[in-house]
Amino acid sequence: MAVEVLSEAPGMGAAFARAMVPARARGARLPEDPVRLEGYRQDAARLADYARVCGFPLRDTVPPTWLHVLTFPLHVHLLGDRRSSVRLVGAVHVSNSMTLRRPVSVREELAIEVAARGLRPHQRGALLDLVGTIRVAGETVWEGVSTYLASGMEVPGEPVELPREPFTAVVPHARWRLPAGLGRDYRRVSGDPNPIHTSRLAARAFGFPRPIIHGMWTHARALAALDGRLPEAYRTDVAFTKPVLLPGSVGFHAALADGVHSVAVTSRDGAKPHLLMSVSSTERARA
Amino acid sequence: MHHTAVVVGGNRTPFAKVGGPLAEASNQDLLIAALDGLIARHGLAGARMGEVAGGAVLKHPRDFNLTREAVLGTSLAPDTPACDLQQACGTGLEATVYIANKIRLGQIDAGIAAGVDSASNAPVTVSEPLRRILARASRARSAAERIKVLARIRPSHLAPLAPGVAEPRTGLSMGEHQALTTERWGVTREEQDRIAADSHRSLAAAWDRGFFDDLVTPYLGVTRDAILRPDTTVEKLATLRPAFGGPEGSMTAGNSTALSDGAAAVLLASEDWAREHHLPILAKVVDAEVASVDHPGGDDLLLGPVAATGRLLARQGLGIADMDLVEIHEAFASTVAATRKAWADPEHCAALGLDGPIGTIPDDRLNVTGSSLAAGHPFAATGARIVPTLAKLLHERGPGSRGLISICAAGGQGVVAILEGM
Repeated sequence: MAVEVLSEAPGMGAAFARAMVPARARGARLPEDPVRLEGYRQDAARLADYARVCGFPLRDTVPPTWLHVLTFPLHVHLLGDRRSSVRLVGAVHVSNSMTLRRPVSVREELAIEVAARGLRPHQRGALLDLVGTIRVAGETVWEGVSTYLASGMEVPGEPVELPREPFTAVVPHARWRLPAGLGRDYRRVSGDPNPIHTSRLAARAFGFPRPIIHGMWTHARALAALDGRLPEAYRTDVAFTKPVLLPGSVGFHAALADGVHSVAVTSRDGAKPHLLMSVSSTERARA
Repeated sequence: MHHTAVVVGGNRTPFAKVGGPLAEASNQDLLIAALDGLIARHGLAGARMGEVAGGAVLKHPRDFNLTREAVLGTSLAPDTPACDLQQACGTGLEATVYIANKIRLGQIDAGIAAGVDSASNAPVTVSEPLRRILARASRARSAAERIKVLARIRPSHLAPLAPGVAEPRTGLSMGEHQALTTERWGVTREEQDRIAADSHRSLAAAWDRGFFDDLVTPYLGVTRDAILRPDTTVEKLATLRPAFGGPEGSMTAGNSTALSDGAAAVLLASEDWAREHHLPILAKVVDAEVASVDHPGGDDLLLGPVAATGRLLARQGLGIADMDLVEIHEAFASTVAATRKAWADPEHCAALGLDGPIGTIPDDRLNVTGSSLAAGHPFAATGARIVPTLAKLLHERGPGSRGLISICAAGGQGVVAILEGM
């Protein structure tokens, strides 16, 4: 296995265009080689913009979701690769896990690596993980696993059941009002140009009446709501259960038990979940 | 019940010039950064403070609860109450007095005083006619009525307004006011440039000896005050063109404070609480006084602290000579010079109702680690910058050493306080 080392972050335009072209093959294939970007310098002004859009204060240390955003060009690069029959188009981000091993400063130079792993059958297609690792001077500081469902793709084997997140209705104790332009704002700070988040036409083409906000915005906003309450190192897991239409209002509910924050972003009335998130310190996660 | 209110420590962001390296940070970001460092340094994560008082001079209306919102962004216990307090450039010191008084009365055991300003993110507002039209439109009962109201908007209403820098009752900016004071008190260009050069030299020396290592936390890649120019000299400052007082004026960008971004916070506690928590005790807050002048009637806008100083010293039975250290906020170099001249002037002090002149102090007691000319002056943060600085200096000198803080503020106001080393 060889690592493909990039000298700079791949431009999103062409790679994204390729990643958006539906594959003709039905058999799911992924590039084996990880792709890596070294000596990456974070842009403090873009971080400030990201923090404003997602509701984080601008700190010296960065949110783990920001580190995810930095891996995203490599996601696109991998799924735009000719060895990949899985395309970003039609791939649904179903769940995400991240571990922040220690606070990461905006001034630290990062080595960012992403590999496509774990291709497995699912009733509605193929599941795969994009596994990200960020290192600072050889030390792993962040790990992330983004699980996508490639609808209609085939992988040999018995389909695996995605565990359904248990959910009982909550009484939201906060309401977020998501403006129509939020998709454009998050596109600017995340670099994710998928028109499903900004264009009504594109959204309709994928079966949504209106544009939907990026799942990773909702994840970031939920983490920002816990800001000040989180340990220095933690693991966070989310399941994206239902897209949020723009503009729209959603409910927010968080509870802390046994050191684990359980968060639900729900419909306004708290009956249906859009996103379920848990956050726990890595001490606990390791135990 | 009477308690001793002590300064435990402080923390601030480095200060930077407007539009500089901290320009992306909002008031709330900056205040959180200052509080984060204070919390980390003193092990306050998860602790419920008695109260946090802070404020900003340039504040957007949506930030009406700026300090409470900032507290919620930190690791302090979420049930820590907070209030916004504002007295122009006196904010940081007035917040210190507010918290210290609550501690002295036994109402709280420990609290935080803070101040922040982001000149880079000064709120921009709409013109008064436009604001009235929009307010009327929002009260309209029908769409037709609303359109009728909105139709009154004229292009001239649409220009956004930067925050006013002029004193509302005189129409003069602070610099223009100070130029009048400079003239009246005969403050020379050389005096002003000397004060500015000394400020930069003293602040640079304090940084070099590590004095600020436990008072400042780096933020967004800025590790030292970005305005500081260690290599500036009287000769270099003498080449600058006048900024206030016309072509013959003596006030320049070099001997006036720069518009700045930054935040500062002070941890105050009762002596008992600090001891129980094994925290440092730097100095006690002895007393404070606020005064104002009649600047619409022609008084010197920035000499408000003179009367406050005289009354405070008299109440404490102290003289200016009893002060081992003095911190006079350098709004302009000329403010410092004029303040000292006013202290020594029998007529001026008599007119303020004081029993004789306040007196003089030797240069080596004044602003010994530099002040606002070199550090920068995020308006509301300055008092919260000076309090921990002076408290630490007095602590270094030993118990019983005394220091005076004098801060002038817009509106002809002045806030002064006495600290005593412990």
